[in-house]
Amino acid sequence: MLKYIVRRIALMIPVVIVMTLIVFSIFYFAPGDPVSRIAGPNVTPEVYESIRRKYGLDQPFIIQYLRFMKSVIEGDLGISILQERPVIEMIQERLPVTLEIGLLGFLITFLIAIPAGVIAAVKKNTLVDYLCMSGTLLGTAIPTFWLGMLLMYFFAYKLRWFPISGYGTLQHLVLPSLAIGLTNAAITARMVRSSMLEVLNQDYVRTARSKGLLEKVVIYRHALKNALIPVITLMGLRLGWIIGGSVALEIIFSIPGIGRLMVDSILARDYPVVQGSMIVLTSSIILANILADILYAIVDPRIRYG
Amino acid sequence: MKKAFTKISAFILLGALLLSAVSGCSRKASTKTSEKVLVVGYDRDAELLDSIKTAWYSDALIYIHDRLVSRDYQFGYQPGLAERWDVSEDGLVWTFYLRKGVKFHDGSDFTAEDVKWTIDTIKDPETGSPFRADLDAIKEVEVVDQHTVKIILNYPFPNLLFNLSNTAAGIHPASAYEKYGDDYGKKVVIGTGPYKLEEWVPGDRTVLVKNEEYNWGPEWMSNRGPALIDKIILKVVPDESTRIMELETGGIHILRNVPETYVEKLEKNPDITIYKEPATKLGYLAYATDKEPFNDVRVRRAINHALNSEEIIQFVFRGIGEVAYGYLPPALKDEYLEESRELAYEYNPEKARQLLAEAGYPNGFKATLSADNSSKSSKLAEIIQRQLKEVGIETNIQLYDSASYTDMLKEGKQELFIREYSWPNADILDWFLLSERFPYPNHSRWRDPKTDELIMNAARRPTWAERAEGYKEVQRYLIEQAVWAPIYVPMQIIAARKEVKNFKYHPWMLQYNDGFDIEVK
Repeated sequence: MLKYIVRRIALMIPVVIVMTLIVFSIFYFAPGDPVSRIAGPNVTPEVYESIRRKYGLDQPFIIQYLRFMKSVIEGDLGISILQERPVIEMIQERLPVTLEIGLLGFLITFLIAIPAGVIAAVKKNTLVDYLCMSGTLLGTAIPTFWLGMLLMYFFAYKLRWFPISGYGTLQHLVLPSLAIGLTNAAITARMVRSSMLEVLNQDYVRTARSKGLLEKVVIYRHALKNALIPVITLMGLRLGWIIGGSVALEIIFSIPGIGRLMVDSILARDYPVVQGSMIVLTSSIILANILADILYAIVDPRIRYG
Repeated sequence: MKKAFTKISAFILLGALLLSAVSGCSRKASTKTSEKVLVVGYDRDAELLDSIKTAWYSDALIYIHDRLVSRDYQFGYQPGLAERWDVSEDGLVWTFYLRKGVKFHDGSDFTAEDVKWTIDTIKDPETGSPFRADLDAIKEVEVVDQHTVKIILNYPFPNLLFNLSNTAAGIHPASAYEKYGDDYGKKVVIGTGPYKLEEWVPGDRTVLVKNEEYNWGPEWMSNRGPALIDKIILKVVPDESTRIMELETGGIHILRNVPETYVEKLEKNPDITIYKEPATKLGYLAYATDKEPFNDVRVRRAINHALNSEEIIQFVFRGIGEVAYGYLPPALKDEYLEESRELAYEYNPEKARQLLAEAGYPNGFKATLSADNSSKSSKLAEIIQRQLKEVGIETNIQLYDSASYTDMLKEGKQELFIREYSWPNADILDWFLLSERFPYPNHSRWRDPKTDELIMNAARRPTWAERAEGYKEVQRYLIEQAVWAPIYVPMQIIAARKEVKNFKYHPWMLQYNDGFDIEVK
């Protein structure tokens, strides 16, 4: 198991390298540069050039890239051109904010999707099932940011139960987390339901029932355990998606998370920050998938990684 | 299985709680109820809280620092940290007599050394200050005594008053960089202003707290002592509709740059008052004047005649805004050329077609029309495209994000393009139209010796009044040459909630320390 994890983490390195190369070349060839932003429009050509030199922007592509990779290997993500601060410090400030909302959203997903999926599966083709499934259909159809706007409009603007935007207290987290949680719960609940239905038809479930076990025990102890395996894969994928995909929510709710940091930096062509946050995001998506693999082994003892 | 299930959920729950606990610790406990807190909404955050190095000036810098010269409600230049000043006969030596008893936020005394350090640091090429070129006229700063400083110029430059009253000219304590190191402009900023920096959370908020010792407010303020409001929070809300909702629900008290589209709705709200005054901004259609067919003055005049500004203001700004006739916003009372309207090219498509025919384009021509990708500019592009089509000019709209737009203009790929500037001084014409600024910011690619001569002559006259006269000549010539097609002067729209008391409109920046008050719930 440990060997497997180490190998998976080692495999991250080429993925991250390829990703940085792609991002680096996109930005190298994209129009615009950060210098005109920091130097202001009234800059003399000499000052302009000296700033370019200061950040090594006058070097050819490959030199710039190798320099960048060298410092990444040394654990240094560079200095933000715009804010003159270490990129790592900026990410440390922003990432927890995004994670907080993401994990809370994840918890909501978990709390809604599993009961809803199980109930829909057990009460297949009843009104409850139809209600759950049409609800989740709606949930999958609504984009997260739009749900976020609706939640904001009703619960913050009309009812004033929550603050409209910002970050700082638990109340601030509720609406954005709900938006993430609900849209994810929809997909997950459908997955739980179909996976449960499959499992419920298996022989061992019939055996468990015929042993006279309580229906509750059959469902939660015997059926759900096996039904969760595909769900875990899905959640592993979604975890990465939650971190990367909260950009629009962070803008709407004005949350100072990593998504907004990335958008602002892209618009300002603050290359080091874009690169740094991309590395962090890619790694966290890969790590989330590894985590899902580890969870497999915990839920399903048959799965062994050699 | 059940165990595993509980394990997983416990793990997630724990993680979430831990994170909120960790980040909770670093936050300040909620503010005291009796504290007077004013929240102001912004769409964009500071990049650096250092007026010397940044090119994007957070409003926080206005309150953290004082400047030698201040601007009153009529945009007049008044004493600030300098009690008074005199200028030598030839306009080359300015002597500033500094206010006594002024202290910086770190407790040190404000002296002539601080003025010298601030200006020298801006002028030092090593600093890379975007404001450096604005102080080109300054040859050297000489400390006469603790409270007297002489600024010696290379050439007469009355606009020094404007430059020294700019946000970028906020006075810092001498050797601030050595003293505070890398934290300066991020965690620490020291000025003598009515508010001190408490904290800056990038992307979220800047919190300013009242300077209790402040009693050196300029004479023209009704409140020269400490501000009445204890705290100002500059809150960043990037999304436009979220900002408006925050205002309506009281999460934000004052919002500047309210979009025209929301004005009608907000005016109906009894909790909110809207203040509108013509801004020191100008929106115009420009063209690459060194390219065919725009190098022909008849074509440029035809384009001016083709644009119906009234209709554009109706369509894009819901009628909120004024038609621009000249090259400066009329709010710059001293410098604005009053007869711009009479000299300008009225909307007359017939005349436009005729001019095009004279220039050899009886059937019009084709060109690209570029703009940035904001919703305002794309709307402008749409209607300008339609109006130009009326006179036979077929355009193809191209939208760019702001960094790419700048790049494209630098490379000189533009034909017709839409711009808006925001600047409260006539020297904006130097920026955009002097040959030495070619190709950027002189993006209309206007290299004309006569313009250079007129501008230099205006900028370097010894007195403010003579300078203003000089710029009027510049404007007259620009209108005649139809270098741009001026379209609109937008309104500066400010929304304030009813909790804000003693609101006073200021053309440059709201002076929150001047008797602004706020009701505490």
